[in-house]
Amino acid sequence: MFFHIVLERNMQLHPRHFGRDLRDKLVTKLMKDVEGTCSGRHGFIVAITGIESVGKGLIRDGTGFVTFPVKYQCVVFRPFKGEILEAVVTMVNKMGFFAEAGPVQIFVSNHLIPDDMEFQSGDMANYTTSDGSVKIQKDSEVRLKIIGTRVDATEIFCIGTIKDDFLGVISDPGAAS
Amino acid sequence: MGSHEALSVDPFKRLVKLAARAFYDDITTKGDKQPKTGRSDNRGIAVVVLDALTRRQWVREEDLAKDLKLHSKQLRRTLRFFEEEKLVTRDHRKETAKGAKIYSAAVAATGDGQPGGREGDEKLKLHTHSYCCLDYAQIYDVVRYRLHRMKKKIKDELESKNTVQEYICPNCSKRYTALDALRLISPHDEYFHCESCDGVLVAEADKLAAQELGDGDDNARRRRHEKLKDMLQNMEEQLKPLMDQLGRVKDLTVPEFGSLQAWELQNAAGRAANGDHGNDPSKSSQGFGFGGTPMPYVGETKVEVDFSGIDGKGDIKSENGNGPMKVLPPWMIRQGMKLTEEQRGETKQEAKMAGSLTAVESSDDKKTTDEKDDVKNIQDEYVKAYYAALLKRQHEQEVHDDSKQQTSNATTSNGVTMPTERQIGMKSKRGDEYEGDDVEWDEEPPAGSSAKNFKVHDLNVEAEASDGDEDEDDIDWEEG
Repeated sequence: MFFHIVLERNMQLHPRHFGRDLRDKLVTKLMKDVEGTCSGRHGFIVAITGIESVGKGLIRDGTGFVTFPVKYQCVVFRPFKGEILEAVVTMVNKMGFFAEAGPVQIFVSNHLIPDDMEFQSGDMANYTTSDGSVKIQKDSEVRLKIIGTRVDATEIFCIGTIKDDFLGVISDPGAAS
Repeated sequence: MGSHEALSVDPFKRLVKLAARAFYDDITTKGDKQPKTGRSDNRGIAVVVLDALTRRQWVREEDLAKDLKLHSKQLRRTLRFFEEEKLVTRDHRKETAKGAKIYSAAVAATGDGQPGGREGDEKLKLHTHSYCCLDYAQIYDVVRYRLHRMKKKIKDELESKNTVQEYICPNCSKRYTALDALRLISPHDEYFHCESCDGVLVAEADKLAAQELGDGDDNARRRRHEKLKDMLQNMEEQLKPLMDQLGRVKDLTVPEFGSLQAWELQNAAGRAANGDHGNDPSKSSQGFGFGGTPMPYVGETKVEVDFSGIDGKGDIKSENGNGPMKVLPPWMIRQGMKLTEEQRGETKQEAKMAGSLTAVESSDDKKTTDEKDDVKNIQDEYVKAYYAALLKRQHEQEVHDDSKQQTSNATTSNGVTMPTERQIGMKSKRGDEYEGDDVEWDEEPPAGSSAKNFKVHDLNVEAEASDGDEDEDDIDWEEG
């Protein structure tokens, strides 16, 4: 799920950036530092949408670096248990398959894949129904439900299922190409 | 009436009994440290306690322990367990021996308990007493929820839905869950590998059927499936009586005893209204004030007692005529019941009295004064006409006026609060119980003194011919 929230961060700025465009430099550095990171508390920081306020800088003893407390608005993405996501399959093996929904990696184990889908090894490993009409392979898009998350300080990993109504392949790359 | 109550309560009692036997049959409430010997094995006590509770409403835990010949500690442990299970509501309070008597009175009124034989000791020492009562509404929900969870769990396992797959390393028997999957994949083959010994991990079959792990993957899965199905079927079969009972109970109104205080008040009031309030002078002297213990419900209690006392006095004859008919507490009254006016009226008033004392009294005042104004106007005119037309009967009029002035004096000299005070005067004449009430004790002397004033002063010429009637009106209005 996406959230638009305000976060705060202390930015250290090198003295060489002190000048007219100090503020721009600060924002640029903030985006570079923060976007794409993951915190266990808020999830993945997808994008910074605005700067709320920049506090007074404090010169560090000995280094000349200046610390600015910056409040910024950002879009974060945090997966939740029970959430339905659309994801792209990245890897298929005998144990199940891995998929990605944006920055989040999701594992779907083989017993959470419908029973009528069988694993087919080979050049392009895949799960296929007995009549061959549905195929899950690399780059397939699937709709899945998250049934468990593991949230570390810097990483979020999910396990999902496609064994439920309206879950499974939503577009078949084989058919498209 | 009794049959009505039984109609709604009995299915719930049966539900409790069934649930007790289904779920709490082998619950033992021993501490873990004690070794389980044959002697200390107290399985089944839970069922006995629940059964005993279905035969009671609120019960003091000591009394229950005595009745069941159980050690009170043991009983308390069991009850605490049931409290956690949300089957039982408990209430603890500090009270004197007197306070406990209110409970005894309430028990006597319900007629299903034994009045505690502690009338004698009037110690003012505070003891903490615990009371417990079955919470039928909650029990119904708890049992349903429990069944739902059981079914859901088995069904989920059956469809292996929403379960986090576990993996185990056959070499070092280290366990992983699917959440570790990212770390376990190897670039070389399509299996998961153990982090420590690089062995190939195998998926572990689900916990419920874990014992039959071993032979081929598919075989195990099929067998597990079978087993779960059996389990589900067994559950459906064995719990069928319970589920049937749940269905039966569904549309019935749940017997509600309310909180301990409310229950006591209801039953004590019912008892007072039955006319057996005269036999306990000690109660009236202590005024239901819970022996001086600060209680949040004191105000309520006071009002309740006042009104029910009046009712008891007023209705005594009809009650006696009806024999053992009891006043129904509100939770027993249902639509379609045929009730006498007293029963209906009294219970209504009890409900009204659940509101605050001040509200009741202030509305009292307002209404009586309004009424008085109207009456006054009419009487003014009447008196004027009377004077003009019937001069010759003036001496008679004088006599008549005298009596009126006496009463009207009281109104003007004492202001608006007069009606209540006069009521109090009335009450002190009418009912013995009120003497017990602290607040009204204080107000009694002024009422007496104003009664003297009637004769001495002659302030008001306005006549209120029917003031005496009005007093009666007040009372009537209160009773209605």
